[in-house]
Amino acid sequence: MAGAGLIEEYVSALDRRLRGPGPVKRDLLAEARDSLHDAAESYRHRGLPESEAQARAVAEFGPLGVVAREYQGELAVAHGARTLRSLLLVVPLAHLLWEANRRFWIGAWQPFDQPPPDWYPLIATANDTTAWVVALCAVAALLAVRWMSRRGASGVALGRLAGAVAAAAVGTTVFCNLALVVATAHLDAQRLLASPPVLLATALSYVITLRCGVLAHRCLRFSAV
Amino acid sequence: MKSDALRGHLDALLLAVLDGRRLHGYAIIEALQVASGGALDLPTGTVYPALRRLERAGHVSSEWGTVAGRQRRTYHLTPAGRRALTEERTAWREFTAAIEGVLGGGGPWPARA
Repeated sequence: MAGAGLIEEYVSALDRRLRGPGPVKRDLLAEARDSLHDAAESYRHRGLPESEAQARAVAEFGPLGVVAREYQGELAVAHGARTLRSLLLVVPLAHLLWEANRRFWIGAWQPFDQPPPDWYPLIATANDTTAWVVALCAVAALLAVRWMSRRGASGVALGRLAGAVAAAAVGTTVFCNLALVVATAHLDAQRLLASPPVLLATALSYVITLRCGVLAHRCLRFSAV
Repeated sequence: MKSDALRGHLDALLLAVLDGRRLHGYAIIEALQVASGGALDLPTGTVYPALRRLERAGHVSSEWGTVAGRQRRTYHLTPAGRRALTEERTAWREFTAAIEGVLGGGGPWPARA
């Protein structure tokens, strides 16, 4: 049957152009495929041969570039919202678990042999607070996405917003944590190696932060259209 | 009617088409074409992202279900969507009344004294 695969060719080409969360992408493509088949069926009922019915349905659906840009916006915002929700849940949870682990294996922090400089408690407090600030920023960004959606903001713009907030949150988390590690190493390096389970938990929290960084990077990549 | 001119009104048109009924994507497109007498010339592929945008805004809700023996995503208005549609209709009436007042007279501009 000549042209019988035109709809599938179009959907496959759209699939290749789109980047984003698999379930959302599959859902969008399934709906696009259904719509194209509905349109082709409608033309067949009006007496057009299969190939022409499919060609008209594809032409009516729109140029691939235009349609892909619109679909990509939705994928970008879907990934952005997912990233913000991940930050909201994972970052505070990782912090709480690290603290619980540290209390179990080390207990209360022992004082330094000599009183630490004034800047040290500031860095420690900043590091302890970061997880909650990140969670608050994620909530604020999710609310902003919702508010801006109601005012017609494009998916691409919202994806970029989510990506910028996520990248800033991950960057701040890494910066505060590394600052504390360097400061502690400067004052008492042995303290960093006091407990292997705590060291392991620290490594795990870096893996989690790295994963959040990957999600943030994808937000920016998916919204770069 | 060109798609550029429609783009700014697409959300309101979709809300109006869904007023009081549940429709799947292609039925929404058909309803738009019927209601406009075929004058709406829009790439139909852009309707689906617009529906997702309305869903994200909380104006529309959707779910997959079986329609005429096939799995389809059907859409319906939420209470927020109905409120948004009322606002859009009011704004549109005010806009068209104002434009009609200027363009619809048919006479010459009043001469300046």
